[in-house]
Amino acid sequence: MTGIAESDKAQLPTHQGTDLAGGLRGAVSDTMAMLWRDSVRTLRQPEMLVFAVVMGVFFLVLFNYVFGGSIGAGAQIDYLQFLVPGVLVITALQGAQQTSLGLAADLSEGVTDRFRSLPMSQVAVIAGRTLADAARNLAGLILVALVAFLMGYRFTSFLGAIAAIALATGVGFAFSWLGAAIAVKVRQPDMVGMLSMFWLFPLMLASTAFAPADSMPGWLQPFAKYQPISVASDAVRELANGSGVDSSLFLTLGWVVALLALFVPMSVALYRKVI
Amino acid sequence: MHSVLQGLWPGRGSRVRPPTSIGAQGAPRRDLPPSGGTYLKANEASQVSDRYMDIVSTNIDTMSTSNSTVIEAQGLYKSFEEIKAVQDLSFAIPAGKVLGLLGPNGAGKTTAVKMLTTLLPIDQGSASIAGFDVAERPEAVRRVIGLAGQSAAVDEKLTPRENLELFSWLYKIPRKERRARIEGLIDRFDMTEFADRPVAKCSGGQRRRLDVVAALVAQPQALFLDEPTTGLDPRSRSELWDAVQALAAEGTAILLTSQYLEEADRLSDHVIVLDKGREVAAGSPEALKKRMGQDVLEIHVSSEDDRSTAVGAVTESAVMTSVAGSQQLDINVEGGAAQSLQLLRRIDDAGVSIVDFQLRRPTLDDVFLALTGAPTSDSGVTPS
Ligand SMILES: Nc1ncnc2c1ncn2[C@@H]1O[C@H](COP(=O)(O)OP(=O)(O)OP(=O)(O)O)[C@@H](O)[C@H]1O
Ligand SMILES: [Mg+2]
Repeated sequence: MTGIAESDKAQLPTHQGTDLAGGLRGAVSDTMAMLWRDSVRTLRQPEMLVFAVVMGVFFLVLFNYVFGGSIGAGAQIDYLQFLVPGVLVITALQGAQQTSLGLAADLSEGVTDRFRSLPMSQVAVIAGRTLADAARNLAGLILVALVAFLMGYRFTSFLGAIAAIALATGVGFAFSWLGAAIAVKVRQPDMVGMLSMFWLFPLMLASTAFAPADSMPGWLQPFAKYQPISVASDAVRELANGSGVDSSLFLTLGWVVALLALFVPMSVALYRKVI
Repeated sequence: MHSVLQGLWPGRGSRVRPPTSIGAQGAPRRDLPPSGGTYLKANEASQVSDRYMDIVSTNIDTMSTSNSTVIEAQGLYKSFEEIKAVQDLSFAIPAGKVLGLLGPNGAGKTTAVKMLTTLLPIDQGSASIAGFDVAERPEAVRRVIGLAGQSAAVDEKLTPRENLELFSWLYKIPRKERRARIEGLIDRFDMTEFADRPVAKCSGGQRRRLDVVAALVAQPQALFLDEPTTGLDPRSRSELWDAVQALAAEGTAILLTSQYLEEADRLSDHVIVLDKGREVAAGSPEALKKRMGQDVLEIHVSSEDDRSTAVGAVTESAVMTSVAGSQQLDINVEGGAAQSLQLLRRIDDAGVSIVDFQLRRPTLDDVFLALTGAPTSDSGVTPS
């Protein structure tokens, strides 16, 4: 299998790490290498992708056919048009949980010891993983969108569809770093699995992904309106359904930047800390 | 500037042997690797540049002579809470030499290797590889070491070829060179048969072999092999032994850990025996063997009383170790079967009933008994 396509400017091994440009080039090359490795692993083990798509379709079917009638009637909306963008965001969020699980499993494998003894940028171990998961997420989102299309959902424009899916992927990528930080801190895969329920479920259920905020109890509404999954659902909905962008897009981008700013350095610092 | 990557692999050719004076701490090697064959090609010798000299000339903080120490440890200490894993360990390995770190389970071998390879912080003392301080310049150290840890550190989902591709990419080996080098390694270490099968489907020994080869992709100056032959079949074991000797002959400094006296004897120029984190003996394998060279007659009796009677019966004529309270005597025999029979007869005559006996080659435990007068932590007394 010949997977190495990226060109990388080779560094001399005697190259000093103090050279910032060289260090950056090295980090990029390492990240590409890890991205290649994680992608090969994903392709060889497509269960995660299949699981993400099945979950997305499950939510589509469950909410549309079981709860859809009552929620839609209560809010006087076309529920499928409302639901699909939310499910795209939830699917991306699930992908982020898989980053957490996958990385924890990865860290418990022996190969991690080798990475730590190699002259490589240690950020690359996590960055390669989150990027590969973003690519997998993108594939999953496209498949879920296709199923939604078969169920009767319509994007207003092709461009809107691209923008919506891209934004959902970006949100998933940001949450991947949260998942990575937890995985690096906790390490044990089963503990990571349990812990991810604590952030995944509140964000998922107390959000505007499945139902409008007005339908929720008053005390929950402030959280339900401004938490990242809600603003992301609103923003993806606006992009997908062509209802014009408003503050939710900027709030979403703000959340993405904030999450990255917090969890990229945090997960890298935690990873550097030797056990 | 010369790249250390310029040497071709394999067929990098024979390296300039380090001056023989380096062998001061160990006897010169008796058995050099098979020349001619895969490792050393005389006609390629001319194109070889001395990569150690490259490093020396481009880094001010490196040792200044060709007689340089590549791996150096000075007074290393490491504790895990109350467990003292390594205590006051010091050694120096010059280019082209092999140090064997010998010891039973829990002796601290892996801990020592992990400290030297930047995987564990050093509590006390200092270590340097090719002149780079391990604590201060971990990045630089990682560029010049190769590590095959005790548990296989390769990606289970990738094939061996993909693993080697990944590691050489991460070592920043130019893309053009990677393919040739990987093919060379696969060839040299006889991995063609399983090179394209995911590692999860390779046998334990094949995985082990890949792990060792993965440590070689960047042609390290310092190679760390933590129990490299555990789980290998006799043929792979002896192939690996040959490879280790060839690498040493090419100038690599090698730290090897083992539980087997035979292995350390075969490969090492110098041996350090560890127990409970402390050095209990050090010297050339020859010297250690001289102290423990004879066969051992191991006799089991049925009671402590019988044991002391037996000890009394043969104590005049033999060197032995026998732990009080046990039911076992280990007698060093020089005269083989004849002397053994004589000893057994004498014990029998003293009225002791012998439950069992065997004549065997000395083991690491015997070395420990001879060196420390105490059994190793986990060998102990044979229960009745
Ligand atoms: N991470 C750790 N935390 C706590 N104790 C540890 C840790 N690693 C090693 N130890 C302890 O340190 C001691 C030395 O362990 P080490 O792994 O270095 O032994 P070893 O000589 O490699 O043994 P083996 O032959 O079984 O591989 C042991 O008592 C072990 O239990
Ligand atoms: Mg060990």
